[in-house]
Amino acid sequence: MVSAAAREAGALRPETVAAIEREMAKYPRKRGALLPALHLAQAEEGWLSPAKIAAVAELFDLRPIEVREVVSFYNMFHDRPQGRHEVCVCTNLPCSLRGARDLLRALESHLGIEAGETTPDGRVTLRHEECLGACAWAPMMRVDGGYHEDLDVERAKKIVDGLE
Amino acid sequence: MQSIPYVTGYLTEHCGDDAFRTFDGYVARGGYEAAREALRARKPEEIVELVKNAGLQGRGGAGFSTGLKWSFMPAGGEKPKYLVCNADESEPGSFKDRLLLERAPHQMLEGILIAGFATGAEKTFVYVRGEYQEPARTLQAAIDEAYARGALGPDVLGTGFRHDVVVQRGAGAYICGEETGLLESLEGKKGQPRKKPPFPAQYGAFGMPTTVNNVETFSHVPHILRRGVDWFRSIGTDKSPGTTLFGVSGHVGRPGLYELPLGTPLDEIVFRHAGGVRDGKRVKGVIPGGMSMPILPADQLDVRMANEFLRERKTMLGTGGVMVMDEDTCMVRVGCVITYFFRDESCGQCTQCREGTGWLHKVFQRIERGEGRDEDLAILEDVAAKMEGQTICAFADAAAWPVQGLLRHFRSDFEIHLRERKCPFERSFEL
Amino acid sequence: MARITVDGVEYEVQDGRTVLQALDDLGVLMNGVDVPHYCWHPKLSIDGSCRLCQVEIEGFPKLQIACNTPVKDGMVVRTDTERVRKAREGVMELLLVNHPLDCPICDKAGECKLQDYAYDYGVPHARTREPRRALKKRADLGPTIVLDQERCILCRRCVRFCREIPKTGELAVFNRGDHSELDVYEGYPLDNDYSMNVADICPVGALTTKDFRFKIRVWFLEDAPGVCTGCANGCNVYLGVANNKVYRYVPRRNDAVNDTWLCDEGRLSYKRIGAPDRLKQVAVRGPKGALVPARRADAVAAAADGLRRVLEAHGAGAVAGVASAHACNEDLFVLRRLLGAIGAEGVVAVPTGRFDDLLIKPEKAANGTGARALGFGDARALVERLRRGELRALLVLGHDLLAPGLLADAGELARLEQVVLLDTHHSPLERAAHVVFPARHAAEREGTLTNHAGRVQRVAPAVEPPFEAYCEGEILAALGAALGLPGFDGRFDARAVARELGREVPAFAGLDVDSVGPHGAPLGSGGGEPEPRRPQAPPEALQRA
Repeated sequence: MVSAAAREAGALRPETVAAIEREMAKYPRKRGALLPALHLAQAEEGWLSPAKIAAVAELFDLRPIEVREVVSFYNMFHDRPQGRHEVCVCTNLPCSLRGARDLLRALESHLGIEAGETTPDGRVTLRHEECLGACAWAPMMRVDGGYHEDLDVERAKKIVDGLE
Repeated sequence: MQSIPYVTGYLTEHCGDDAFRTFDGYVARGGYEAAREALRARKPEEIVELVKNAGLQGRGGAGFSTGLKWSFMPAGGEKPKYLVCNADESEPGSFKDRLLLERAPHQMLEGILIAGFATGAEKTFVYVRGEYQEPARTLQAAIDEAYARGALGPDVLGTGFRHDVVVQRGAGAYICGEETGLLESLEGKKGQPRKKPPFPAQYGAFGMPTTVNNVETFSHVPHILRRGVDWFRSIGTDKSPGTTLFGVSGHVGRPGLYELPLGTPLDEIVFRHAGGVRDGKRVKGVIPGGMSMPILPADQLDVRMANEFLRERKTMLGTGGVMVMDEDTCMVRVGCVITYFFRDESCGQCTQCREGTGWLHKVFQRIERGEGRDEDLAILEDVAAKMEGQTICAFADAAAWPVQGLLRHFRSDFEIHLRERKCPFERSFEL
Repeated sequence: MARITVDGVEYEVQDGRTVLQALDDLGVLMNGVDVPHYCWHPKLSIDGSCRLCQVEIEGFPKLQIACNTPVKDGMVVRTDTERVRKAREGVMELLLVNHPLDCPICDKAGECKLQDYAYDYGVPHARTREPRRALKKRADLGPTIVLDQERCILCRRCVRFCREIPKTGELAVFNRGDHSELDVYEGYPLDNDYSMNVADICPVGALTTKDFRFKIRVWFLEDAPGVCTGCANGCNVYLGVANNKVYRYVPRRNDAVNDTWLCDEGRLSYKRIGAPDRLKQVAVRGPKGALVPARRADAVAAAADGLRRVLEAHGAGAVAGVASAHACNEDLFVLRRLLGAIGAEGVVAVPTGRFDDLLIKPEKAANGTGARALGFGDARALVERLRRGELRALLVLGHDLLAPGLLADAGELARLEQVVLLDTHHSPLERAAHVVFPARHAAEREGTLTNHAGRVQRVAPAVEPPFEAYCEGEILAALGAALGLPGFDGRFDARAVARELGREVPAFAGLDVDSVGPHGAPLGSGGGEPEPRRPQAPPEALQRA
């Protein structure tokens, strides 16, 4: 399904393509597998470069712009390089009521960057996020897909420092 | 903090037991019996009637009659039919579906089987919000087990009924929790809600007849089948039977989940169960049903938590996300948080929503900074009114209502900001 | 059929149509029944997002969007109530929250639907004091279009157009909420044969054409109805005229010919009217071999003399006429009569080129079908005869004899004793001509043209050439008279000629510049139809915009 050119260009690893094709088989129209495919493609390098977007577009018989506009709609898809680790602090209402914004500011100052930015050594991207479904255990953050809840500033800093 | 509910009921009584997540553990507690019996001995129409008579309201926020929704699916026909399980739980203040996915996945799957049989759907897509990576993994493990043990696949529980379940992870967009926004996202597009007509039962996932239900809604179904309509209606209120999982958060002593009958008074939930306001403070306001629902002031917390009562107070049950705010809380800051969220999450299609959410947020920020003008309150009221009831989906309403609630009950907070040209609530949570 | 009542008036409409479509089918939309709208377009899929077309429908508690509500027998619609008025005000006010105050520098001013509807349906003053979003102001999207993202009201007509009509899909809306941005994808410019249509359908000045940018204010332009002459489709246009000059073509709706579209090449063919290479004077080749300006009467006499000499010496078989597919039916009929009276053969040379399954036709002239319907044969046979030395004189309209597959160059006519040329623009063919007459462009005269499907459409003078130029028919009528041919009194009147044409060639009966009407009429139909509204299902939304 993927062109020889795309395979050669190495835009997507063969195992990624295979995983995408497995997802496609689950849907009556293969486009249903686009979000799963973008998660898989992004997992390779942490972001979706134009080359990856073009490769995914080709797999789905879509124009690159059609894939690009989908990427732009969702918070979890990134169109520029990210740090090796993502640290996402929820700043929605229940978390803010229990000090989430103070926590975010503490991490900003601890890392020396603002939310939305990546540390110069490429280690950590710090973000704020909307409600992650952990309101009773506020404040909390999502780090590389895992939740850390019931945080205080010290614990949060320790977790962030432990990221390589 | 405890992750299982502080008060359990039929939905969550076994959630503390890790084995309940497994097929055997679930079956040992009577799991899949209701499905087996329904698939063997009943007709689909019977089940639809039964669920309708039970009065189960959808637990995803809209409260629509589940049985009635199922009855919209066309009978027979050539086209494949689908169920969609809405596991996109993104309503701020809500975290109940997460628990059900993590600790009672088979209970939901059993409900899906019964619903699939009742509506003639051969496949269910479970759309799990992208950030719920662990719950999605747990769910997939349960699905794999169900396939291995014959509870899913071509011959469900030996009844000849076929049903498949596919899990798709979202990618971070609140609007994908809206029924048709979800369908668009499921189909690999931007999650922009569809104009209606056509409705999902006519034109749903991939153009096929589809019913969308919430995780918790499915989870009630096996219990209704197993124990009957009368039993279900004996819990809760006449119009709103059954329990629901209230998620309490904010300035309370015991934030967490509480499975309680619908109709339980709000003050009972907050003060008797959730430990009241922490640090000995008084309560200022409570949002009863997730952040889309208008706030209630301290003197209205006697309201019973069911739609028929909440509507009288100009709010709704929503997803039962109870957010408690203490006496020091600045309600304008609360409004800044709320309006930022809706501005960020609007899909952008409809003029009123796209521009209105932006305008509301900008005005709130200005007022909080001390740059508010006298006409701003009228502008907020007017913009919110212009957003209501005129858009493709209810997001614009959800964005307008909280603003109306804050102005209705906490106007003085705004007026102080305008008068003093700053935020005077020095002890409030920081923005 | 269904009977619906709109603002107290009963209408009969087709089943399966939405309220807006039904009003459009009837020709009353914004023409008696006001339902302002942005995202809806009669030829594109339904969008439903601008929310401006909300109306009150009995039985529905909420206002409904007219663009997506199917008609039902007995439906009662009101477009003029207080609720509808307030809803429109709401939409207009919210659209202006982020829209920049660009009117003084925006090309769209004067034909801008935001201006128009803000004036008619909006609130009188702005209440917003908030800073507006800052986006790209002069984005080069491709060869023809400039984008101003700030002006965009996100109606998505352009996105749907590119996906559904040329099916090239270069445009999309990125992000979401009030951070939404219309754009192309870097590396994939907006570049298709119909790209400039997006500037027409854009309700505001977000998408404008490079060609028209800053040229003139539209309120100075008069919209003269006409027909594009770039190919045999005969797309209907309005010529934008000011100061006796055509500044642009924009499409004119004709559901039987071009819907609401125009191809880019045809749209830009207005430049041919005022092009510097127009033939501007009558000329005769002098004794030293150069073409010198001459008075029309003298040139006609010289042409007649030359033709008469050839006829007397070699007979009618040595003379032939070449019709132009750019000339009108009326001119061609006079040529046919003239050649018939002489007894000479007549052919037509039609240039061809690429085509598609939308509007672009292979014949790159507007009246090839008319010429053939009038009996002009294929020019290739004539070229053969010429090369065999059988011809001594040619009466040539246009220079398409030089089209590929016909003459190699003008030198092939070198041995002819008399070549009379009538043309609009200079060409190498002039080298071989003994007498040259400048012809009028279709935009400079009255007449009819027959498109590829046999539809006869009219043209009317929108500009007057500031130099000598004549309808071909006028010169040919004078020539016929100078040759002493029966039935030629030297006068040329388009209507009279059309009536004669109708008598001699029955398919053309009843089809003159008046009776074909503004939207034309097919050969054999006997007269103009009422405006051809074709209730068609719009394209399927291929995906959400």
